[in-house]
Amino acid sequence: MKEHLSKHKLTWGQKKQLTGVLFLLPLSAFLAVFIVYPLASVIFYSFFDWNGMSQMNFVGADNYRLLPSTEGFWDMAKATVIYAAGVTGLVVLCGFLVALALDKRGKWRINRTVLRFFWFFPCLLSGAIVGIIWRIMFNYNGGLVNFLLNQMGIKSVNWLETYGVTMAAVVIASVWGQIGMCAIIFLAGLQNIPTDMLEAADLDGASELQKKAMIVIPLMAPSITINVITTSIAAFKAYELPYTVSKGLPGYSTRILTQRIYFYSFNTNKYGIASAMSVLLVVVITLISLLQLFVLKKREDIY
Amino acid sequence: MEKKKMLTILSELCLLACTVVCWLPVYYFVISAFRLRKDIVKYPLKVIWERFTLENFSYVWKNMKLAQSLFNTGFITIMTLVLLIAVSSMAGFALSRIKGRFFRAYYSANVALMVVPFISCLLSLVILSTKIRLYNTLWGCIFIHTAWHLPFCTFLYAGFMGALPMELEEAAYIDGCSTFQVYFQIFLPLLAPITATCCIRSGITIWNDYLLSSTLLNSARKPTLMVGINSFFGEYVSEYGYAFAGIILASLPISVLFIFLQKYFIKGLTAGAVKG
Repeated sequence: MKEHLSKHKLTWGQKKQLTGVLFLLPLSAFLAVFIVYPLASVIFYSFFDWNGMSQMNFVGADNYRLLPSTEGFWDMAKATVIYAAGVTGLVVLCGFLVALALDKRGKWRINRTVLRFFWFFPCLLSGAIVGIIWRIMFNYNGGLVNFLLNQMGIKSVNWLETYGVTMAAVVIASVWGQIGMCAIIFLAGLQNIPTDMLEAADLDGASELQKKAMIVIPLMAPSITINVITTSIAAFKAYELPYTVSKGLPGYSTRILTQRIYFYSFNTNKYGIASAMSVLLVVVITLISLLQLFVLKKREDIY
Repeated sequence: MEKKKMLTILSELCLLACTVVCWLPVYYFVISAFRLRKDIVKYPLKVIWERFTLENFSYVWKNMKLAQSLFNTGFITIMTLVLLIAVSSMAGFALSRIKGRFFRAYYSANVALMVVPFISCLLSLVILSTKIRLYNTLWGCIFIHTAWHLPFCTFLYAGFMGALPMELEEAAYIDGCSTFQVYFQIFLPLLAPITATCCIRSGITIWNDYLLSSTLLNSARKPTLMVGINSFFGEYVSEYGYAFAGIILASLPISVLFIFLQKYFIKGLTAGAVKG
């Protein structure tokens, strides 16, 4: 036994490498079984026509070719893009403004830790819960939003059953749930801006607005990119929140891609179509992520 | 100077007004949980102490199977975190402290997996879990949650350990430690901050999860909190008080933790997006 071992004695470096591989085994098992295999099988399923029970009929790229003609596909595409663009734009804009306001400290100002707590709190709530809260608030009869509108002398709006308006309601609910996170990320960026730059600008007599436009925004460019990308990825992936607010109604006007995937997977069992749509989502999100990688790499060269 | 002071106060008032608007929904659902439906609709924002009631809470506690769903959610969250931390800290150590082409390639593959959207794989996960008898079991939920949080946690651990000085392990290796010993005796004790970050980040997401548990678990027998509230709300659509009481009970644990650990929460949830 001893002789056998000494014959195959590993060098110290090899032993270290082997231990490293051992350390990666549990991770590899989890990733292979629950991420890589399901991802591969979704791609595989997307070339078949089946409902889980029937025989799997190979149909080539038919599922992809027929995607645009599935019911409500273009409504879905429109809703998804409007939702993602609306949420990303509003979250980043509001988040930036909130972060600018929260960044200032000094006399006569409210305690920042307290304010940060208030702004961040909604981010802790589950998407499903935020959805319920806003669904109740947007209710036509007895919802808080219409109550406030009435107080201001504006007629009630049927938030959850009007084309176009419902999308606004869904976007508002999602924005409310995400501003805090975005603001905190901006805040960290703002606090990394060297103060001597701003002081130098002060000495040169720059106004607040000039300082913002010439110093703060260029230096914040990486944070802005990160927030735009992460928020838009989250918006494309969002399922619970938009669904609980509007249930995809009225018509197809708020049925975004994720809701369609869920619908074809578990309500109608059209596994082929569902898988093709899933692959579409993977492609969209991969493209956005590659864009992030590309833009951030480029930025690092500049600074 | 006087002008500047006025301006400051004015901008603070503006900020305060925005904060109040932002918190209006929270205020609304908190006070509404203690009121009956007719009061919620009639005076949405007024607190009437004489009409204060705990009826919503007692009803929800009795009818939502809250104890059961609290146990399920808690069990899933804690077990997932234990598995997650054990697996990702080991993997993070290997990926950050051991040199080699294989480990670099693995690291990139791990980062690439962070991008895959969960809902895309939900269908095949359900099919898979039916095949391997994990469908409708809490452990199925736990394993799937663990796997989907692993890439990011491993990424965080690798980043954290990669930033620690080389001398740390060199000294130990010279003293004759094996790689196992280096990991367990030198690195493990140093990992508290990043472990807290991972726990908070993944813990909140898992506690709040609706999509996986609503698909994988039988919502009547094995409800989790979010699924329970949603199906409860679906049954009593017009009973706002019930929904709000349920919401408060379900988000109370995390909210209370947040009040005491605000700093760690914010650091944990923004990890990865903010350098340092």
